Amino acid sequence: MAHNVKILPGATVCEDCTLEGDITIGGGTVIHPRVSIIAEGGPIIIAEYCIIEEYSKIIHKKSEKQENPPKPLFIGAHNVFEVGCKLESIFGHIGESNVFECKSFVGTSVRIGSGCVIGAACNLTAPQTLADNTVIWGAENNIREALEKQPSQVLQLDFLGKVMPNYHRLRKQNFHKRQPSRQSQDGK
Amino acid sequence: MAYLVQPDYVKYTCTCGQQKPITNLYFCRHCLKIRCSFCISHEVDSHYCANCLENMPSSEARLKKNRCGSCFDCPSCFHTLSTRATVAQPRQDPAAGDAKVENKQSKKMYYLLCFNCRWTSRDVGIPDQPVATGGWPERVNPFNSRVNQLLDFYKAVVQQEKQEKLDKERKKYAIRGKYITLTDKTGLTMAMARNIAGLPSSEGAPSSAIANFVPSQASAEWQPADVARLYPLARPLSVKRSQRCRLCDHNLTKPDYHVPEVKIISCETLKPGATCALLLKLSNPTAHEMQITLVDPAEVPEHQEREEGRTIEKSLEKSLCLEKDMSWLEAVSRKVDVTSPLSVTRPDVTLTLAQRDDAAEYDDDAHTHSDDVILWRKSNKLALRLQVQVAEGAVEGPGARLPLALRYSYRNTVPPASAAPLVRDHVLYVAVLLDLGQVYAE
Repeated sequence: MAHNVKILPGATVCEDCTLEGDITIGGGTVIHPRVSIIAEGGPIIIAEYCIIEEYSKIIHKKSEKQENPPKPLFIGAHNVFEVGCKLESIFGHIGESNVFECKSFVGTSVRIGSGCVIGAACNLTAPQTLADNTVIWGAENNIREALEKQPSQVLQLDFLGKVMPNYHRLRKQNFHKRQPSRQSQDGK
Repeated sequence: MAYLVQPDYVKYTCTCGQQKPITNLYFCRHCLKIRCSFCISHEVDSHYCANCLENMPSSEARLKKNRCGSCFDCPSCFHTLSTRATVAQPRQDPAAGDAKVENKQSKKMYYLLCFNCRWTSRDVGIPDQPVATGGWPERVNPFNSRVNQLLDFYKAVVQQEKQEKLDKERKKYAIRGKYITLTDKTGLTMAMARNIAGLPSSEGAPSSAIANFVPSQASAEWQPADVARLYPLARPLSVKRSQRCRLCDHNLTKPDYHVPEVKIISCETLKPGATCALLLKLSNPTAHEMQITLVDPAEVPEHQEREEGRTIEKSLEKSLCLEKDMSWLEAVSRKVDVTSPLSVTRPDVTLTLAQRDDAAEYDDDAHTHSDDVILWRKSNKLALRLQVQVAEGAVEGPGARLPLALRYSYRNTVPPASAAPLVRDHVLYVAVLLDLGQVYAE
């Protein structure tokens, strides 16, 4: 089932989650149980210090006009995926310090910059590009622009990194960083 | 029975003719009448903040413009703002490189954050505060002095008009009650009346059409056109209310413990010209035995709202010409429409319901009756089987309502005023309207 999943040192990945395809998980990232990360259309690279909470789904969808070799989906550092969110973006890059709140949905044709917040239960389906620091909130998908990036969840990450091993079976780190992590993907 | 999100299937008829679920009604234990929010006086008990629950005397509340001193609402989405703490980075001072000194310098700073739309007080350039509550800069209305001037002027006008009116109507002057009402205090009479009647507060375009207008108008003194000028709004205070009977000025109670409760258990499909079975549950919430008879809604006696000089106090008031203003009654009361294509065969029996006994909840299962009216009994509850006739010409569609009235015995436990005769047992009436759903054609 799980083929070619690279877990870098310092990452906390629970065993009870679905990881399919070519996935790389950066150091310091915490993945809660029951998470699905499915790389069917190409590899998924998750950078450092992300939090991916329960029941969130990150899917790299197959698309018709797929490049060969497929472009990876790169998820920047310090992103927070809250409980039950779903991300289907096929664009190669998601910025850093974004927050995907509970039950939010980001469809295939949405580009996301950095420091964005997709509010709880907000659905983004239409093709669009979110500029940096965009906040989407409320039942009517109101948009506003934040002045600064969302604060990073360093304390929460530290806590999770300590607590998770006490209550969950974890996947073993299987990839040792010799060079900086970004370059280690060049082999594909 | 009333539900939070479902329609109200059983509605009781208030003394004034309004039909409401039992949860929205009140009961006056002195007049022995059902009252609703339309025909009672709402009294302001105290002001408090719904967020920090701090109580505030009304004079202080007025001084603070009915707003809480320590809680804020988000200016862009009106969600309550939360205080967040950050550790302030000590400025790197080239002169002092000592680690100990640096530790002393780092301290917690606080800012406001909205968890709904992620607005922060930093967005509009409000500096972080060294204390968690209070201390936020207060903004002064640029037209403060002018507003105060106008206020003083109109206060004087009001004073003068009041005096003139008083002189004019000295003889006809009627008091409205001993208590200050909600409308007296806030002056929102029209808007509130419209809200209670289910209309928007004012006529005009719905403000949701112009979205950016709403946050701007929320801070009425400044009305910023620019998002960057939206400052946190001090949270408006709420009032604790108590409800008083307009006739006797006593505090009202909920009817849950005084009026028999009717619930629909089930009803067969309604077809024009057919007879179908309706199962009802009656329960006696009082601490005394209750006799219930089903009566024709038309038999319910007209309510006598005119005051009789029942007590010395009342007759004294009358002799002092302090008669109450009863004009509101004509304004709110309405005749209940009891015509319906549905009718029920009323069994000619008086049902006796035992008093409420909380311990009986743990008793064994219900006693089933072979009676053709009473299905089962269990402590203070019983289930009735009734036959509903649907008229031949009943129109197909939803909203089949069955009017029904109960005559029940009620024991008054309130001690009467000194001179009044002791009447403990009363016969009261309550009219209910059951929503039985839809009439289906064959």
